[in-house]
Amino acid sequence: MNATGTTDRETATAPEVDQGEARLPRRFGVLALAVILVVGLLLGYAGGFLTPQLTRPGDSSPEAGFARDMTTHHSQAVEMSLTAYRSATLPGVRQIAVDIATGQQGEIGAMQTWLREWNLSPTGSEPPMSWMPDGRASMRDGLMPGMATSDQMKQLREAQGIAVDQQFLSLMIDHHLGGIHMVDAVLKVTDDPEVVRVASTMKATQQNELNSLLDLQRQAKG
Amino acid sequence: MSISTPGGPERRPTVVSTGKKPAAGRPAAGDKPAAKAGAGKAGGGKGTPRPGAGGKGRKPVTPVKVSQGRSWGPIALFVAVGVLAVGIIGVGAWAVYQGAQPWQKRADAINGIVNYRDKDPESLKYEKHQSGPLKYKYSPPVGGVHNDAWQNCMGDVYDAPIANEHAVHSLEHGAVWITYRPDLPQDQVEKLAGKVRGTEKMLMSPYEGLDKAISLQAWGYQLKVDNADDERIDEFIKDLRVNASVEGPTALCNQGVTATGTTPRDLGAQMPTQ
Repeated sequence: MNATGTTDRETATAPEVDQGEARLPRRFGVLALAVILVVGLLLGYAGGFLTPQLTRPGDSSPEAGFARDMTTHHSQAVEMSLTAYRSATLPGVRQIAVDIATGQQGEIGAMQTWLREWNLSPTGSEPPMSWMPDGRASMRDGLMPGMATSDQMKQLREAQGIAVDQQFLSLMIDHHLGGIHMVDAVLKVTDDPEVVRVASTMKATQQNELNSLLDLQRQAKG
Repeated sequence: MSISTPGGPERRPTVVSTGKKPAAGRPAAGDKPAAKAGAGKAGGGKGTPRPGAGGKGRKPVTPVKVSQGRSWGPIALFVAVGVLAVGIIGVGAWAVYQGAQPWQKRADAINGIVNYRDKDPESLKYEKHQSGPLKYKYSPPVGGVHNDAWQNCMGDVYDAPIANEHAVHSLEHGAVWITYRPDLPQDQVEKLAGKVRGTEKMLMSPYEGLDKAISLQAWGYQLKVDNADDERIDEFIKDLRVNASVEGPTALCNQGVTATGTTPRDLGAQMPTQ
């Protein structure tokens, strides 16, 4: 078809086009291969780089909320326990008090490390207990379940003799009940292995301690 | 884009070759595509054969379309994939960068905050705890030498002034200390107390001689604001509470001084008698 209608002027242009047509697909093939390689590598790298960042617990996740709020909850248990360790009367009370204080302080360290590893701030943007269903409703006077009021803490600090033991035991039993409630809530929603491991340990420890605290409470009364 | 131009010249001969009057049709067909190619990409390409075909009554349009599709398909695909890849990487990197902004950067971004760690690091240095009253360069102080005992900072709301010498030790442990002028209206005081109560590494007390209604302190940082509704208060707390700790997140805020009064005291003096 081309040959029949082609004039001299066009034969001058035609070869140029043919050359281009012959060369282009090959050049295009190499280019395409390079582009595919580069894009593929970039996507793979980005995927590998971003996946852990995107799948780790986020700022408003239950895991982050738990880590922050349980830190607050634990801090008060440490305060109560150290006070009891210093001023309680019964050796058994002082013994379990120092156990609780150091154990929970250690757990605070673990939870704070999670937040750092997740690139999250120790302080969240949402109010405490927001991560828990009905969590906000369980707060009273800005306190999480089981936490003592500042008046109760003041009384404990100022108490003397067996009253220290009695007040500490009563406060710590409530504190552990509230704590276990929060641990149960995070165990229900999380699948982060480290969170599951630490939360399960907390629950088992606090349940055992609860039994001992109830025993000691009977001793402190009688 | 350079690959798109070969499609143009390549098309022209095909159109022309089917035309019966090459000499006459040539210039006309040659001029029109040139003008249209400049105007649009796909539209210009499709329009090209039509004037030629309409004028000469031929339909060699099909081969034109085929050659056109062959080059545009992969290009569009690669451009799309490329844009998508760059988009994914860009958005992901941006999100990660934003989330990973260190707390120092976020704190420095607060309007009006003073960063004494940068501005006056000397004022924060000390060799050991010192007892008794101490002098501070800034009011309220934001760091530096302090007493053995820290002020309790378990979300404590003090209703009277406390000793700088203890409060600075609390700052060292990562506490945010909210101070307010004693004449601050009660509803504003309550609003501030709501940010403190029940939260460890927080304490609050009235402070004499403040040049603004409210002043917030963390170790090496200070922000002064005019009222309790200022959003920068929450931002300051979010960025600096615990983070500003010199001794890490597990430094204690309990077992400290719980009494008020601006004269520093020995911890033993307030311990319960056994």
